[in-house]
Amino acid sequence: MRTAIRLDQRIVFRAWLILLSLVIAAGIIAGFLVFKDGLILTNLSDLVPWGLWITLDLSAIALSAGAFSLCAAVYLLGLKRFQPVARTATYIGLIGYSMAMLCLLLDIGRPDRFWHGFVFWNVHSVLWEVTMCVGLYFGVLVLEVTPIVAKADLVRGRWPRLSAGLGKLHHVAPWLAIAGLVLSMLHQSSLGATYGVLKARPSWYQPGLPVLFMMSAIIGGISLTLLASLVASALSARRARVKQDLIEPLASFVGWLLVAYLYMRFWDLLSATYGYEAGRTEGLRLLTKGRLAPNFWFGEILLGTIVPMIILLKPRWRASGWRLGLALLLVVGGLVAYRWDINLLGQLVVVSYLEQAPGVLFAAYTPALIEWVAAAGIVAYGLLAFTLGVRYLDVVDHTSGKPVAQVVASSEEPLPALGT
Amino acid sequence: MPSLHRRAFLKTMIVGAGALAGTQVVRRREPAREPEGPAGQKHRWAMVIDLDKCTGCNYCTNACRAHNDIAPSISWNKLLEGEPAGDRPVFVPRPCMHCEHAPCVEVCPVKATYTRPDGIVMMDYDRCIGCRYCEVACPYYARSFNWEVFDGPNPAVPEWGEPEVPRRPRGVVEKCSFCFHRIDRGLENGLTPGVDSEATPACVVACPVGARTFGDLNDPDSPINQVLDRKHAHRMREELGTEPRIYYLCAEVPEEAAT
Repeated sequence: MRTAIRLDQRIVFRAWLILLSLVIAAGIIAGFLVFKDGLILTNLSDLVPWGLWITLDLSAIALSAGAFSLCAAVYLLGLKRFQPVARTATYIGLIGYSMAMLCLLLDIGRPDRFWHGFVFWNVHSVLWEVTMCVGLYFGVLVLEVTPIVAKADLVRGRWPRLSAGLGKLHHVAPWLAIAGLVLSMLHQSSLGATYGVLKARPSWYQPGLPVLFMMSAIIGGISLTLLASLVASALSARRARVKQDLIEPLASFVGWLLVAYLYMRFWDLLSATYGYEAGRTEGLRLLTKGRLAPNFWFGEILLGTIVPMIILLKPRWRASGWRLGLALLLVVGGLVAYRWDINLLGQLVVVSYLEQAPGVLFAAYTPALIEWVAAAGIVAYGLLAFTLGVRYLDVVDHTSGKPVAQVVASSEEPLPALGT
Repeated sequence: MPSLHRRAFLKTMIVGAGALAGTQVVRRREPAREPEGPAGQKHRWAMVIDLDKCTGCNYCTNACRAHNDIAPSISWNKLLEGEPAGDRPVFVPRPCMHCEHAPCVEVCPVKATYTRPDGIVMMDYDRCIGCRYCEVACPYYARSFNWEVFDGPNPAVPEWGEPEVPRRPRGVVEKCSFCFHRIDRGLENGLTPGVDSEATPACVVACPVGARTFGDLNDPDSPINQVLDRKHAHRMREELGTEPRIYYLCAEVPEEAAT
């Protein structure tokens, strides 16, 4: 009986991998076509030059924010018992940032010049700052994930020397946490400022965006980490081991953060109603009554914020597995909806520059099929990387949790292996 | 032992930071292109477009297309229709505004767009990565992205002129350059931009009704200063503080319609 179930699981696992591989293959074909024939294949235009891929890029970066926030909690605030969760978050962070980079490679017109930002500096540009921070933080994440890979049975068994050597990177974890905190606070906010600094687009031009981007990133990042851990353990309790006493307090924390977020988003929007301003007022109308309204009211506010906030704040509800999972999924969806709305808002509202004919026009954008396929490929890549991480690197393992001091001490243990 | 490793690690980090700083040195060796204020600069190019004279014939756009070898799907000089003056239609040509405080220059992550000392907002097509942030930032929608490769013949050539600059590759953003190549070549040959047609932007030369005036704001005798002294001009979206270098003279309502 037990073998039968295990066999079934193996089949399901294989089917899952095959499905993901197929989606990735489709994404690669889509990406290849875009590289070959150019961005003319997309539905992007000079009026709406940033679309689905930029939304995915923003979302992937935001949903990776669990890495820096949980590492800061563990190594800087001293909440050491959450170390296993921070470990999962770090791995997800590495995947998320690599997804974001794939999006950008697709989206920029000259992917062969992706490195220009690191060489030709424009220190006045928030996007330059984002480029630098994302590049540097990706390096931090690689260093943070290295010990996870090095200590996996797969590596330890085959290359004990390498495993022991690389595993020692763990000693610098607190330093990496500081670097991650600084770099993330800079670019997570600056991604909001990328829109917020543009005076010509009144529905973006306001100081609240960086703060809301930062806050929603922390909320979404922790949520995705918890959600991924829960789903993994529900599918394979053997490979992914979660502890309720680590999940529960974080879920409650996310619930309270949602209260603060809702409060700030409320005033952010209410302040947009003060008087008429060409562009800003139309933007608010587009968001609350126009084309973006269903996404805003349901995706962002009701399902993305209020419903999960209630579930996560009610102890009995957040203790129930499926309700907790649902709430976290809604938070993640709400974050993507928020990024989608913000990215499009300022582009869809076109403020006329004609003196004699002031007025506001509306642009339109619906992603082309090729944009969806390429985006799905990138998401499938992320899911595949996480699946393999759970299977081979034990990235979800709350039972391995040791206080940091012990982790540091125990990393000496593999040393004797040097002699063998 | 561990502390030794940490030290070694920190050393690597410092070396890495040094290497990054090194790229700054490389950058500095390039020709000076730091955005500078026009004050004290020799020239300060600007254009006046008289909407009262403009007939909407599109000669400027066509000449621009030929001289700058622009794809048919792109226009550096867009012709828009404004509010009619009485019963007369009003046309508004819109080139790049060459803003003194250009939002595109500020946001470009790689300094592919930059302000020359004479105020021309330039594009470095070899440096642009095609992120399109400048398009999103420009208040005048004056920038166009090369969504596809332009490899066919240019329909505006040779009727409207011969290309004077190389074609842009797919994947970069392009825009009006004030025909900087004509200005530079003209100055080298001792000509005066705005006065001598070879040294003046192609759109100004092509205009059959003389609706466009080009010249140096720093030169009190330049044709552009003479126009600006006599007439009241406005600039687009002045409230943004971009300080555009394109001045517009309003179309006047015909007297018989006004009475």
